[in-house]
Amino acid sequence: MGIKSSLGLLFAIALVLGLVRSDFSFKSKAHGPRVELSFWNGFTGPDGIVMLGLVRRFNEENPDIQVTMQRMDWATYYNKLMVAALDDRGPEVFVLQSSWLTRMNRAGFVARINDVYAGEKGVPANDFDPQVIQQVHVGDAYIGVPLDIWPFGLYSNADELKAAGFVDAQGNARPPATKEEFLKAASTLQHMGPDGHPDVWGYALTNWRFNFQALLTQFDGYYFNKQGRADLANPGNVAALTFMASLNEGKRLIPPPENGLGWVGFRQKKVGMVIDGIFMVGDLLRLDDFHYVGAPLPVIGKHAGTLAESHTLCVRKALGERQSAAAKKFIRFLSDNSVEWAKAGQVPARRSVRDTEEFKKLPVQSAFAKQIPNMQYMPKTTVIFELNQEIDFAVEKVIRGRSTPVAALEEANKHVQAFLDRDKTERTGEDAQ
Amino acid sequence: MTYAKKRGLHGLLFLAPYALSFCVFVLIPIGVALVLSLMQFDLTAPHSIKFNAGKNYADAWKDEYFWQALKATLGYVVLMVPGLIVTSLGVALGLNGMAKGRNTIRAILFLPGMLNVAVTGLLWRWFYDGEFGLFNFVLKRLGMNPAPWLSDKGYAMPSIVMMSLWWTIGGTSIVLLAALQQIPKQIFEAALLDGSTGPALLSKITIPLLRPVLLFVVVTNTIAGFQVFGQPFLLTQGGPERSTRGLVQYIYETAFNNYRLGYGAAMSWMLFAIVAVFALLQYRVLRRSIA
Repeated sequence: MGIKSSLGLLFAIALVLGLVRSDFSFKSKAHGPRVELSFWNGFTGPDGIVMLGLVRRFNEENPDIQVTMQRMDWATYYNKLMVAALDDRGPEVFVLQSSWLTRMNRAGFVARINDVYAGEKGVPANDFDPQVIQQVHVGDAYIGVPLDIWPFGLYSNADELKAAGFVDAQGNARPPATKEEFLKAASTLQHMGPDGHPDVWGYALTNWRFNFQALLTQFDGYYFNKQGRADLANPGNVAALTFMASLNEGKRLIPPPENGLGWVGFRQKKVGMVIDGIFMVGDLLRLDDFHYVGAPLPVIGKHAGTLAESHTLCVRKALGERQSAAAKKFIRFLSDNSVEWAKAGQVPARRSVRDTEEFKKLPVQSAFAKQIPNMQYMPKTTVIFELNQEIDFAVEKVIRGRSTPVAALEEANKHVQAFLDRDKTERTGEDAQ
Repeated sequence: MTYAKKRGLHGLLFLAPYALSFCVFVLIPIGVALVLSLMQFDLTAPHSIKFNAGKNYADAWKDEYFWQALKATLGYVVLMVPGLIVTSLGVALGLNGMAKGRNTIRAILFLPGMLNVAVTGLLWRWFYDGEFGLFNFVLKRLGMNPAPWLSDKGYAMPSIVMMSLWWTIGGTSIVLLAALQQIPKQIFEAALLDGSTGPALLSKITIPLLRPVLLFVVVTNTIAGFQVFGQPFLLTQGGPERSTRGLVQYIYETAFNNYRLGYGAAMSWMLFAIVAVFALLQYRVLRRSIA
């Protein structure tokens, strides 16, 4: 092949690649260069594909803005985000879990975005439930837009419930709604195997800490007292943990701790009921031969309640005017179209979106959404990682029968208070006592 | 320029690429970590970053989680290093005695070592799974009770060691096999003619002549043992009840989950000091026995 023909071939390849990259679009572009936005998140599962679809739609509808999405595992996401953002190389738009917002905000790279909520085209702040919008409210500023809510609820095997007689007037599976019903279902759904041990369990703990944190809300449990001091061994928390431990005593209603059954056991029909977040529904959507039903947590404590978290959309500080405007436009788009996002296994944060018929058709999502008035977020604290680790440890010790709820929570409380004191001393130089 | 100088210059030129990367990726980070260890350095609180002299070291000394993690690390080293040496030596002796198929077995043994720790961890997590795992499936088939491989404090660390052995035995065995093959056969023949038996051959000839290589294997594996991270992190995440959370995992959590880089760096230096002391002690003891 001669030089001329080689160059011709190269030119042809470049032309084809260029056309492919531009989606064969010959539409006239808006004046001025396109604004490039980088959007980072940890949506590595099927939810990431839904989010990618939304990003593509936004890019099509806004030819003057090009959003590039990058998703990475949550485990490394925050490290990369932190390092990049502190060096002003981070993404323009990023997702933070609500429980991490306080800590990340202190790092100083999260922008105030009050104007996203302002004006007719703004995201209406009053479209959020008070405890949801409060998650992104710091002082007099908003530092993010809640995209969704992920309440924890009860997943049940519908066939097992029906077989055990838990049905409503129409003959549909009816998950337990009270403590008595729950204990009865946990016991009835348990089937003994030929070796005399349960082959199928009525109920199993998934993430132990999440199960505890979901339950403590029903017993008026909390993490910090009004003075901001750690108070993990409060009566509500003790009652919730005592209830969890009781499932392991007498007639055992949960698999032994070393068994490892949990969500996987539920998927494999070896467990009748589990408590988990709405985000797990995406995992069930892929199963063809499994009939399940989602419902609010049964009222085991004094009243209804559950744990919740949110993904919040945030903007990096110190963006240029055009980038900042584009970022806010993108956030508004995602918020307005969050019903699409809900299909990936989330509950939209905005009430108006939850009121749409499209959302109401999502059975598990809409069932879990009923808990929003009673849900409780994790506390806003800068020691969130340490707090969660201590609760993890306390719950584990109790479930394994190595400690009482009071002793385990008191031990955890001592450590969390020490973390708070250290944090305060390091920040202010004052003695935390 | 004299020939010797020219040769020296050429040598330096050949060394330069490695020396450069060693400086950039090893020496400078070590120096930075030393400086960080003397600072209060929390990435989430950039305004409070300051020098705090040796406070991080003093805090670590008083930190019960530091000692708990060190105990877990020591537990791993104590199980892993002798376990690895004994099994690798056994494998190497077996291979050395084989007339046929040695290369095939050697390749098979070496294969796990070529896998990434993440792949190995995922594979063994399935092996150990309480309900759906391979090992418990086999135990149940044999009419035995399933074992809580990773969920019981008594089992978890030995289970991690078992995986590590599977993963690393190939490399160590090959090193020992190479050393075994260097021992002149005439020594064994002479000993046999003098009426020596198998155990005597092992204790009086093989082990003494392997000592320099054993010294190398023990010291390097002890250093690696103190740095264990991937195996417990993937299999147990440090549980149950933090019984397998080693020092490197605690340092990782401190520096990269809590963003307390200064404190994490101080603990890294303390780990370095501990490893250095152990390695030097082993070196001295074994070196003396060689002499």
